Amino acid sequence: MGACVTTICLVFSTPTQAQTREISVRGFADVGSTIFRAEKSFTAVLGSDRGTVFGGGIDAVLPQRIFLNLRASRFRRTGERVFLFGDERFGLGIPLTVTVTPVELTGGYRFDYGSRLVPYAGAGLGWHGYREASQFADGSENIDDHFVGYHVVAGAEVRLARWVGAAVEGQWATVPDALGGDSNGASREFEESNLGGAAVRLKLIIGR
Amino acid sequence: MRGRAYVACAAVAIWLAWAAAQHAQVQSLSGLLVSEVALPAIDRGVRDTDPPRPPRSDPEAEPFVRGSIIVKFRPGTSPEAQRALLAQVDGRQERQPSDADFDIVTIDAGTDPQAAADSLEAQPDVEYAQARYRVYPRFVPDDPLYARQWNYPALDMERAWDINPGATPAITVAVLDTGVAYRSGIMRYQTRPFRLSPGGPLFPSLGTVEVPFAGAPDLAGADRFVAPRDFIWETTTPFDLDGHGTHVAGTIGQLTNNSLGTAGFAFNVRIMPVKVIGSVWDAVFRSPQQGTDDIVARGIRYAVDNGAKVLNLSIGRFGPPAPVLQDAIAYAVSRGAFVAVAAGNDFETGNRVERIAEFAPRIDGMVAVGATGRDRQRTFYSNTGSYVELVAPGGNMRIGGLDGGILQQTFDFDLVDTYLRGPAQYRAPRFDSFSFEFFQGTSMASPHVAGFAALLMQQGITSPAAIEAAMKRYASDLGPLGRDDEYGHGLINPRASLRGLGLVK
Repeated sequence: MGACVTTICLVFSTPTQAQTREISVRGFADVGSTIFRAEKSFTAVLGSDRGTVFGGGIDAVLPQRIFLNLRASRFRRTGERVFLFGDERFGLGIPLTVTVTPVELTGGYRFDYGSRLVPYAGAGLGWHGYREASQFADGSENIDDHFVGYHVVAGAEVRLARWVGAAVEGQWATVPDALGGDSNGASREFEESNLGGAAVRLKLIIGR
Repeated sequence: MRGRAYVACAAVAIWLAWAAAQHAQVQSLSGLLVSEVALPAIDRGVRDTDPPRPPRSDPEAEPFVRGSIIVKFRPGTSPEAQRALLAQVDGRQERQPSDADFDIVTIDAGTDPQAAADSLEAQPDVEYAQARYRVYPRFVPDDPLYARQWNYPALDMERAWDINPGATPAITVAVLDTGVAYRSGIMRYQTRPFRLSPGGPLFPSLGTVEVPFAGAPDLAGADRFVAPRDFIWETTTPFDLDGHGTHVAGTIGQLTNNSLGTAGFAFNVRIMPVKVIGSVWDAVFRSPQQGTDDIVARGIRYAVDNGAKVLNLSIGRFGPPAPVLQDAIAYAVSRGAFVAVAAGNDFETGNRVERIAEFAPRIDGMVAVGATGRDRQRTFYSNTGSYVELVAPGGNMRIGGLDGGILQQTFDFDLVDTYLRGPAQYRAPRFDSFSFEFFQGTSMASPHVAGFAALLMQQGITSPAAIEAAMKRYASDLGPLGRDDEYGHGLINPRASLRGLGLVK
């Protein structure tokens, strides 16, 4: 009960000043969950179309409530190679590890009007590293490539202390033409080509 | 006077009974296992300098067995109705054989069995009726010249074995063939006079002979064989009296990495020897059955009912369709077994339709296999047609000589085909001396696919239809683009099928 009251007070109490004229640079780390758009492909090979993503980056709050954000994250999961026949999936017991490493640049606007809770929204582009490696593969049978994608984000930040803040953020990304290019891929079978997806994450922000 | 007549009748009856007993005794003497053990097998190495052997002839000329036909009545047909139908062809129903859902009907030996079957099949209460056509092994043991196991590198098997090293004993592959050299023993047989071909020289009877057998040294191992069954002799000891089945079994599962002989495709599987084909010696030794459709159908059902997950049929026949075999194969697939069948070796002699292989396009989980040579081209003998679904190495000795054949261990034929010496010098065979021989034929191609199916099954693809789909999907397209009647979907590509799909690649 005490913690709940404290949180409500933090959110609705008036800050000492609205940060609209200063440039501040903060660092952040985040953890969240991503749901990939290539739902059938990820589920067939990795057993699920979602997974935990860890990330971090730097965030610059500029005058006029503009922000710029550079973030890197990583998704990694091991599944197995499969054979698909109609609606049936046969696991072949050959381990396969997928690693997705997006580096994203986001610009946006902070709705910072003096409240402790600061909503924000933005959009940007990213370079999405995609790596797939499986046992028994020779060099040409693994893949290590990069694709360009676009995304929008929206969230709300709350200041917990003078140098510490937290945020909840949602993101939607599209990374077209990244999957489905090879006949040995489940993504070709399912005609899924987009590496993007939706994500929800919690951010811990260090800095003012 | 009447008393004398009774005594005379009684004497005649006793004499007849004694004669019948003697006859029965003589019959039962042939095919008697007289010793569980025999001398150790003799391994005579690779026989690559022998002249080519002539194809072994069928001692019988007709394509079917006279005196009986196969009939399957529709469910619900009463015994009275069945008898009435059979009366139309002067037929008499025999006891339904084991592992069969059809009946064997005895007819007059002078009646054309196919005509009798056709007249019965026209009746609404009859699902099908057919003559008992003979089924033959499908290899071409002539055309000299040779090579040693080029067939595995041609399929990139070294890398495929990295992924799946020869399956496991959890998979049982049934070899429906002439039997397999799977154990030792001494059999006592009664011989009969015979001719190798109609009008050929008469070979006199050898009387009673004792014939030694041994397990092929590069095939037999502890717990290697399961549920052996012989439908030619109606026993549980399917000794190979030909060598074809032993060679075929070798391609499927020859022991590998044992510093001996040759390699097999799925070298860790268990082998189920099911003898459904007779050979010259089986006929000479008076086997009670011959390799006919019904015998093969029973063998198929037996194999799946006793746990076989993959069936190899390097056999075939021409003539009219064989519904009894289609039924049996459909049953096998419905029980979760994959079936590989040789597509036939008749291309240069008419390219007649192979009546077992032709079912393949209609049954998902059964594949008809054509043959390629070292040059990755269809071999001169390999049948073409809409039923050819895949090709695999079967050997072609016209290109590359003997080295173009498929090498496996089988019998030393000097000691088997003794009838090639002529009637004056032939003697009883022995099946305990082995050599490595090059054979060619779709009989040799089919076991590659059977072994491949075993690997896929062990890798995780458990449905026969999915196994067929995996084979076709990754086959290396040969000939005209896409499926064609020469190569089907192409040359099998085991490594690619075993790897399957990644997320992207």
